Amino acid sequence: MSRSASTTFVLEATDIEKTFGATNVLQKARLRVARGEIHALLGGNGAGKSTLIRIVSGSLHRDAGAIQVSGQSNYDAGAIAVVFQELALLPDLTVAENICLPHRRDAFGRVDARHMRAQAARALAVIDPALIALLALPASRLDLHQRQLVEIARALSSGAQLILLDEPTANLTFADSERLFTALRRLTQQGISILLVSHRMSEIRTVADVCTILRDGKSVVDRRPLAEISDEEIVRAMMGEGREKATAPAGAAAPATSGGVTLGLAKDRLALTLAPGSVLGLAGAPEGPAGVIAALIGSASHPAWSITVNGEPRRFRSPADAIRSGVGYVSGDRAEKGVLATLPIVDNLAAAGRVARKRWLVSSGEVQDALGALKRLAIKANSLYALPQTLSGGTQQKLLIARWLDLAPKILVLEEPTRGVDIGTKREIYNIIGVVAAAGSIVVWWSTEFSELAQTCDHVIAFDLHGAISGLLKQDEITEVAMTRATGMAA
Amino acid sequence: MISYLKRGVCLAATALCVSALALGAAKAGDKKYTVAVIMPSLDISYWQWVAYGAKTKAAALGMNYMELDSHNSPTEQMSNIKTAITKGANAIVIGPVSSTSTPPVLRFLKEQKVPIAFTGIGPQPGQTDYTSSVTANNEESGKAEGKFVCQLAKERGGAKVGMLSLPQDRENAQKYLRGAQAAFKEGGCDLVQILQTKGLTVREAVDEANDLLTAHPDITAIYGMYDEAATGAAKVLQTRNLVGKIGVVTADGSPTTVKLLRDGVIQGLFLQEAGGQGIEATQQVYNALTGKPTVKEMPLTEPLVTAKDVGSPEAQAKLKRVYPPSAGQY
Amino acid sequence: MMEALTVRGPEKNMAASEETSAAIPRSGSASRLLATYRSEIALAVAILLIMGVVSFWSPQVFSYGNIANVAQSAAPLVIMALGVLLVIITSGIDLSVGSTFSLSGMVAGLAMSAGAAWPLACVAGLAVGIAVGAINGLLVTLLGLAPFVVTLITYAVGASLAFVITDGHSIALLDPTFYLLNGGQLIPGVTNYVMFCLLGTIAIELGLRKLVMGRWVYAVGSNDKASRLLGIPVNGIRAGVYVIAGLLAAFSSMLSLSYISNSEATSGANMMLQAIAACVIGGASLFGGTGSAVGAALGAIMITVIQNGVNLIGINSFWQGSVTGLVILVAVLIDRLAKVRA
Repeated sequence: MSRSASTTFVLEATDIEKTFGATNVLQKARLRVARGEIHALLGGNGAGKSTLIRIVSGSLHRDAGAIQVSGQSNYDAGAIAVVFQELALLPDLTVAENICLPHRRDAFGRVDARHMRAQAARALAVIDPALIALLALPASRLDLHQRQLVEIARALSSGAQLILLDEPTANLTFADSERLFTALRRLTQQGISILLVSHRMSEIRTVADVCTILRDGKSVVDRRPLAEISDEEIVRAMMGEGREKATAPAGAAAPATSGGVTLGLAKDRLALTLAPGSVLGLAGAPEGPAGVIAALIGSASHPAWSITVNGEPRRFRSPADAIRSGVGYVSGDRAEKGVLATLPIVDNLAAAGRVARKRWLVSSGEVQDALGALKRLAIKANSLYALPQTLSGGTQQKLLIARWLDLAPKILVLEEPTRGVDIGTKREIYNIIGVVAAAGSIVVWWSTEFSELAQTCDHVIAFDLHGAISGLLKQDEITEVAMTRATGMAA
Repeated sequence: MISYLKRGVCLAATALCVSALALGAAKAGDKKYTVAVIMPSLDISYWQWVAYGAKTKAAALGMNYMELDSHNSPTEQMSNIKTAITKGANAIVIGPVSSTSTPPVLRFLKEQKVPIAFTGIGPQPGQTDYTSSVTANNEESGKAEGKFVCQLAKERGGAKVGMLSLPQDRENAQKYLRGAQAAFKEGGCDLVQILQTKGLTVREAVDEANDLLTAHPDITAIYGMYDEAATGAAKVLQTRNLVGKIGVVTADGSPTTVKLLRDGVIQGLFLQEAGGQGIEATQQVYNALTGKPTVKEMPLTEPLVTAKDVGSPEAQAKLKRVYPPSAGQY
Repeated sequence: MMEALTVRGPEKNMAASEETSAAIPRSGSASRLLATYRSEIALAVAILLIMGVVSFWSPQVFSYGNIANVAQSAAPLVIMALGVLLVIITSGIDLSVGSTFSLSGMVAGLAMSAGAAWPLACVAGLAVGIAVGAINGLLVTLLGLAPFVVTLITYAVGASLAFVITDGHSIALLDPTFYLLNGGQLIPGVTNYVMFCLLGTIAIELGLRKLVMGRWVYAVGSNDKASRLLGIPVNGIRAGVYVIAGLLAAFSSMLSLSYISNSEATSGANMMLQAIAACVIGGASLFGGTGSAVGAALGAIMITVIQNGVNLIGINSFWQGSVTGLVILVAVLIDRLAKVRA
């Protein structure tokens, strides 16, 4: 863990350059990972993290620069393995088969089952001997965290010395995250190195030893022990000078939403009334928050929650009904539930307005509105007529939020709006939430990161792992510890 | 894949038809003979008319009648034969999918001792286990039509002719062409272009005739190999004000082409006696069942009907052996 | 409210907004039009190139007569492709348009031979198209069946009904004024088939671009789930495009009938694949969300030009499918390339 240069780097990538078209994605980027360490790779959206990972793991060619693995520039690609967010196990094969998949046949294409099981068992034992019991199960029977470990085992069995994990805890419970970290530490004792990409500060602090931070394709922080760097420094390194001021709440100048409403939510024994300007957080495993959200946005055919607006019972029969009644909705599942990928940015922005205002014609005013919306959220786009995929994930998320702002929704429903979004954009989103609430809208949002709920909410409904209500927290009761206790999830 | 599924749908439809027919057959009693008519594709009016001829003849002979469609599939043809036998057919009249598809059919029917007569397309050369083969003499007809086309071309002051052909992967199309080429050679005519249809639609023939006349504006007669070819060519001549200036002759014969003949838009029609083939084939299997003498090879010539003689009683009698009255006027 | 949402320092924000607005050209400007229709322009050039190649062997290809023939022959396919395009943009597929073409033609033919005036007979034909489209739309939306399966069913049933209603006989249409639908001139100097093609293409193109409904057609094909959550009437749009596809297939049939004056049960048999091919050549993706009416129309014209060229050169028509396939491959590759560059 010393900063002194040593010959024990398992990975040494120096002066990596990559351009796509006119954009320099990587400029002399540098990444050095020592043997047996857990190394956090940090950076905002569009900083070049994923490009660097793809280059290092050999799925993308670099324009310039050198890569050495254990001092060799001619290395076996299997030495570096990536475990992605979307896991790549074949569901109908057994754990053993999945682990030995890359090399399970001999020269004649035959499978030696006993040899295969032994090999798989060896790989699993390195992570956790208890896992050997899973060998004969089909992959589809495993839970998420077990699947991750099986993928890691697969990487180990093909000789990986460095394992890249991309947001491994995004969907894990608290207990499972802890188990994963334990396994990772055990691997480092065997001399295996881990490169971790995560947006969760607390987790990085718990598990990682060293960090490298990318900004605009450059390594602005190159191998610094986390013990020596403060959270503020990390944020500043990621965002550049001046941008961290964004955290200041900026609600004062906001005009009030015309006719703010009070919103009542009730289910089982819980009944809650929210005044205009409230921010309600939903915490816990997906089933619970999903029920509230479905009822509010009109997507549930039999809503489990009863809703009152200004004291009157109200049921939203369809998304269109909800939208025309002033409910806005943004999902963090951008690809599935938000972005219209083949339509230009201007259509993506105008979509909600067209429904809410029952427009028939595409008006030229929409272009002006769209320009204004981009400007207000400081969204960088080459053209209004470009496709959303030309924007980074965080920018796409802002685009989806911008869709609603002109409509001044009375209730804004956010479903994991910060999923896969960098810290800078996250802060912008918190800021937007503050401003929208200050303008008199009610914000209801679900997040798996308790720190951000604690920062922004005045009410939090917590759900347990089965989706049942496990608590209502108000004001000062809203802490990460309280939410962790009530939900059984990791922050 | 689509044709695959289409076939599936058609199979299901056939199964329905068969069961309906079977019910009918059961009602009619056992003493009558039953003839099964198995056609390669009842989408095509030619085969509808063969079946019609067989049906009328069967009624006249007091036979029960069933009709099955093979949808151009040898497999379906074989299963149709077996279905027909299971449902009590005593004799088969078949328009085979192709000559090459016939040996297994003949082998099976020999075992079952069921007489079979061919219409339109004959059995594979070398096969002998059948009652009768009633076919058109395509090569001779092609030659006769070629001669007539060449004559028309010369009357119009040229020697170049074009052809709107059936797909040349068909045996009858190859024979027509061989005959026509021989006649052109003899008569000193130059066949400048052959365009083959795929869908046998008038729409396609119109496009082809247009292209033919664009590429070769100097042709003076068109050889049509099927009804739609002549209908399409006639349409183009009417649009281009070339009626009479370019001669058109076709094989087959249908109410549409007969009308064109009467109007003088086309000059000659070589009748393929579709109905006649069905009639003769049914008579032959009936003879076999009742122990009367049969004729093994029955090549029917394709008689010419021209614009001038279409109204004559002889021509009218020939036309009646082509298509049923329900199809249209003669 | 919005000013307060600015999250960056003032200088940075100014810079960003200038960058944004400077990079966005004024709408309606010629350069944007060129950029939007880049692949369509390439397609038009490709058509001219094909004709140029053909003219080596057959100079008549550029004659007025031949061009008029090609146009008249392409017109029904253009109209049909426009309907199919809408379905394809919603990520659906309509295999039934060929059958609808045949069936509506047979119904109109029967009506005419029963003595109905041709405009009335055409209305009957169009009604058949709307009915088939409505059945497709209802089965796809209400029962949630896959478009491929639904239209495969209506394709099979339609093709068989076309035979059933006339016992397989073709019908010669004798009304001496019926040719006017295709060959007349409602606008003096412009023959109707040209007018219908232009009008149809422009109407669908503008509808797709300027009507909110049109944008929703793309939205539905782009992301069904997101569209539903946005309150877009997804089922209505989906059902609607099948009805329009059916109607246009039937109208295409009427136009063809008026030209050919002969109605046959198999007339539309090979048009379905050609119409789908036209859309794909014109830049539509079978995954939905993209495609333009101008492209589909040009695609239909290209297919007809290839047929015409093969015949004029005198290539054995067995090769026609291979040539068409090759051209589709080239068109799709060029389109892919253009999109990568963009």
